Amino acid sequence: MAHLSVRDLRKSFGNVEVLHGISADIADGEFVAVLGESGCGKSTFLRILAGLEEASSGDVLIDGQSVIDRSPKERDVAMVFQTYALYPHMTVRENIDFPLELSGLDKAERARRIEATAATLNLTAYLDRKPRQLSGGQRQRVAMGRAIVREPKVFLFDEPLSNLDAKLRVAMRSEIRLLQQRLKVTSVYVTHDQVEALTMSDRVMLLNGGRIEQFAAPLELYDRPANVFVAGFVGSPPMNLVDAVATGGGVEALGTAFPSVAAVRAPDTVLGFRPEHVRIGEAPHAFEGKVILSENSGDRLLIVLDAGGTQLNLSLTERVPVRPGETLPCHVLPEHLHLFDRASGQRLN
Amino acid sequence: MTATTPAHRRRAWRATRRAVLLNGALIAATILTLGPFLWIALASFKTQIVLLMGRVTFTPVTMNYDEVLFGRTSTFASNFVNSVIVASVSTVLVMIVGFLAGYSLIRMRWPKFVINLFLLWALLFNLVPPVTLAGAWYELFRTIHLGNDHVALILAHTTLHLPMALWLLSSFLRDVPRELEEAALIDGAGFTKLLRRVVVPVMMPGIVATAVLVFIFSWNEFPVALALTNNTSATVPVGIAKYAQENEIKYTQMAAASVLSAIPALLALIFGQRFIVKGLTAGAVK
Repeated sequence: MAHLSVRDLRKSFGNVEVLHGISADIADGEFVAVLGESGCGKSTFLRILAGLEEASSGDVLIDGQSVIDRSPKERDVAMVFQTYALYPHMTVRENIDFPLELSGLDKAERARRIEATAATLNLTAYLDRKPRQLSGGQRQRVAMGRAIVREPKVFLFDEPLSNLDAKLRVAMRSEIRLLQQRLKVTSVYVTHDQVEALTMSDRVMLLNGGRIEQFAAPLELYDRPANVFVAGFVGSPPMNLVDAVATGGGVEALGTAFPSVAAVRAPDTVLGFRPEHVRIGEAPHAFEGKVILSENSGDRLLIVLDAGGTQLNLSLTERVPVRPGETLPCHVLPEHLHLFDRASGQRLN
Repeated sequence: MTATTPAHRRRAWRATRRAVLLNGALIAATILTLGPFLWIALASFKTQIVLLMGRVTFTPVTMNYDEVLFGRTSTFASNFVNSVIVASVSTVLVMIVGFLAGYSLIRMRWPKFVINLFLLWALLFNLVPPVTLAGAWYELFRTIHLGNDHVALILAHTTLHLPMALWLLSSFLRDVPRELEEAALIDGAGFTKLLRRVVVPVMMPGIVATAVLVFIFSWNEFPVALALTNNTSATVPVGIAKYAQENEIKYTQMAAASVLSAIPALLALIFGQRFIVKGLTAGAVK
């Protein structure tokens, strides 16, 4: 249970700076997902929090105290690794006991905590097994157990679910979330999977090239992306982003005039709207597109349109019969339009 | 009737040919490696006359063993004790230095060329015939009054076998996942705990395999031991060589001493066999 702050955290490997000054405050008990593509610096960020990597400059504070010069063992953080990193020569019990033993707790208290942790994670029946005798999901739970048994100030997760198959991943997702809500331990969760980030966290820190693009609640990222990068990153299929020109009364794009949704400084803008917000049918501000491809996955119909040379994605919940080559009239409600400055990429509305 | 088609016969013939070739090689390897040892083992139960006459059938005798173990002039027992001391102590030294040096090399973020250069040098060192070093060592140890002592031979064997141990231990260390060490650090382990509780147990097969090999190499080492020991500090191979005297070669006693001297190495192998196979193939298939 702790408040975690990072101040202008920078990290270089040789001449290459991979973190360009990360600053953030994470509240006590908050679950923060750090999201980004591989190479964006998210793992480095986490390893600096853990003390496994030295920052080039900047500070990490836990409960207001700087821990940047402390070794991992002095920081009172626990980490769950992507590969689980279970000690192969120890049983599940010994794995979970290892941090307790090192902390110098007495035997009775250790046994009590191991039992409680094993019960929480449904591991009681496996306490005397070695990691190699466990399935992927069970190993994942042991790794969790080793982290929670210490009752640390901060949990750090490094893509803990990416080695599991899809079904188990969904199950473990809610399991981890429920556990975190019950224990109320401040958590930082690194992932490249936006569904994980959006569904599990209180807030998402979206990293790109070692910088924070946006640090906000999941729905805020979805509803009000701060810039073109966030708009294009969050959502699947991604937001449609088309070049637009601001005129006196509105924005012109796709051969039609959209209503003005924001004050603009320069006429060169980017208009964005999500595939799931496009409606088929005539309406004011409608545009047309030719169907290139349609895919029906049962719960939704994905259509790729060609609107005057620009490819657009549509995602519909109703089953509309469409044929490739057909021309469809489409429209988007004004409240679902996003407008960005083309030069800076920043959100305007 | 498909069993007799020409195609089927050709396949069967090819399979037989392959089996004969592969199993033949195995049989040849067995004869080549076991043969000499069996010949020595049999010789140790013959009398010198029977052996020299080349008889195939004979009445086994134990007089060679009696003479080697309990003979008034035999030094085998003291040779054996010397060998145990030299091989054990030098193995322990090699393992400690080799492990720590290997850990530094693999984990302390040395530039790549340093690691490669170091390992290359360790390999080149093994190409130098130990006998070329024996003379220099003899002079050196005599100068610092360590000549003809266990200490001299222990130090020499440590030097001789360290490069091989370093090679093996580095590659085993490379196979220890870094995350395991990081997990241990976060769990609160200091450096000693990290090595003792995580790194060493995880690479135990590799450590045992290396130790057994180093022990056997030291046990069998002859030229340097010959140069650095005297009658009281001679090791088993030096002792065995002394059965070949100016006027007479005591083949059968030599054979008995050889068989006896193989026992510790054999024990080490039996104890370590499971680890050696596991260790030397570790990381080959995940």
